[in-house]
Amino acid sequence: MLTFCRSIVCSSPKIDPYIPPLTERESALMKPLKNAVETDNLRKVFEIKQGLLRRNAKTVVAVEGISLTVPAGQSVAFIGPNGAGKSTTIKMLTGILKPSSGTASVLGLDPWKQRSKLVRQIGAVFGQRSQLWLHLPPSDSFDLLAEIYGIPKNDYRKRKALLVERFDLGRFLSTPVRKLSLGERMRAEIAASLLHRPQLLLLDEPTIGVDVIARQNLRDLVCEWNREEGVTVFLTSHDTGDIESVADRVIVINHGRVVLDDSLSSVSANTLIEGKSAGLEEIIAHLFNSAASLSMQNCISPS
Amino acid sequence: MKNSIRQSWAVARVAARSNLAYLGEVASRTFFLAVILFIFLKLWQATYRESASTVLGGLSLNQMLWYLTVTEAIYMSAPRLAQQIDEDVRSGALAVRLLKPISYPLYCLSSALGERIVRFLANFATGAVVTFCLVGPFSCSVEAPIMLLVAVLLAFVLDGLGHLIIGLWAFWLEDTSGLLLIYTRLSMILGGMLIPMELFPDWLKSFVLFLPFPYLIWGPAHLFVHADWLQFAQLVGLQCLYIVVLLAVVNLIYGWALERISAHGG
Repeated sequence: MLTFCRSIVCSSPKIDPYIPPLTERESALMKPLKNAVETDNLRKVFEIKQGLLRRNAKTVVAVEGISLTVPAGQSVAFIGPNGAGKSTTIKMLTGILKPSSGTASVLGLDPWKQRSKLVRQIGAVFGQRSQLWLHLPPSDSFDLLAEIYGIPKNDYRKRKALLVERFDLGRFLSTPVRKLSLGERMRAEIAASLLHRPQLLLLDEPTIGVDVIARQNLRDLVCEWNREEGVTVFLTSHDTGDIESVADRVIVINHGRVVLDDSLSSVSANTLIEGKSAGLEEIIAHLFNSAASLSMQNCISPS
Repeated sequence: MKNSIRQSWAVARVAARSNLAYLGEVASRTFFLAVILFIFLKLWQATYRESASTVLGGLSLNQMLWYLTVTEAIYMSAPRLAQQIDEDVRSGALAVRLLKPISYPLYCLSSALGERIVRFLANFATGAVVTFCLVGPFSCSVEAPIMLLVAVLLAFVLDGLGHLIIGLWAFWLEDTSGLLLIYTRLSMILGGMLIPMELFPDWLKSFVLFLPFPYLIWGPAHLFVHADWLQFAQLVGLQCLYIVVLLAVVNLIYGWALERISAHGG
């Protein structure tokens, strides 16, 4: 595996003037973290039962010993072909799945034992699933999310105003979501996921189906938020444009193992495939096609 | 607890508002209700005539139609809760819901309640107008609407928990439409939607009263036509008892379901 060598420069979080005084508990939760995600040899094996009468159990290894450290404030592209183990890893990191072995700490919390605490500090955007109510304007969904996350009214009002301004939502804040363009909807989705000031933002194919201009606009907004609030971004996308625009670091997994973990600049500048320099898309396609990580080490090498 | 109530209220409010967007569906449903009530009127008119009686099961024709107005309004307001859980499990949308700091069953139940209250009010308003035109006014006591409101709300919570229990089996079965069909038909027949429990044979009535179904439909509708504080207290007590029991069952099944996701994948 290539070594992660690029130092990550993370600007200190810019605190907007609207933040109310934090309670002692909130202060403890908001303590600056060194690492947003730490996993050690995370492994997940599923048991699949087959047959109608004789139920034979078959085990499938979805994730095979993933060890990662993601510093707080970093933007990470977590990519892999379909069935590589991305979703399983993310589900383990968010406490939905319990690993078969290994340990993980997300935002300083144990995802399985402290899931309810953890989800309060996570924002998630799924390109193919909406958290907004289709027949209601985004504003109503924002109000609901504020209640679900228990955001104090005054803080919510100011936070919402800030997000509406920055994400340019004013024009369609009162329009039912079903009448919005995909680009407008995704802007509203990302704004909704930032309402409760998450420390970790999970983005799963956030630009899928979005046109070129709206896509760039979304990428810019994510980057801005990452810089300004220091939110750690965990991006899953098959669009190399998303990865190049948003991520500082690329982690590629295949067959449940990490096959590449390096800074984006290092991957783009220094990686050769069979002696020739290659673009990010080509490198990723090569890694996806490779059967196992060991063989990939042979065909991809730093120049 | 306070937090959960606040969250639940917020979800129910949004679901109610969202349901108002389906005006076409609400209109078609209420039209269907008007047709059903007209058919019921003709059927019961024939029944009263053939039995040469003005009172059946303690109800006059006028009371019978008003009873059926309430039962139909309750039954036809049932939300798609179990199907929604099916879809969440099959499509993987469940993972998105689990990332919110609100219990998934509570979210589903609150959303269904908000949706159902709007549907019930629309159904009942239409049904009342139709029934008024068909058999004239119903002289109910002042307390009857209050009793109806409380009993209907508890019935909705109880029925919501029933739908949740059915829906949560989607973690094992993936498609719970068969179970749902059995549940809804049992509610329809044993809940007294078509025929009041007073007309059931004694053996069946005494058996059915041990089940939760009568308290979903018959109980509130019966109170509306025969308002009585003692019966109201008994009904509310039984509804609360069943709510506690079904809540425990939901918690148990949901716990198993989460373990199943962990063992077999989402």
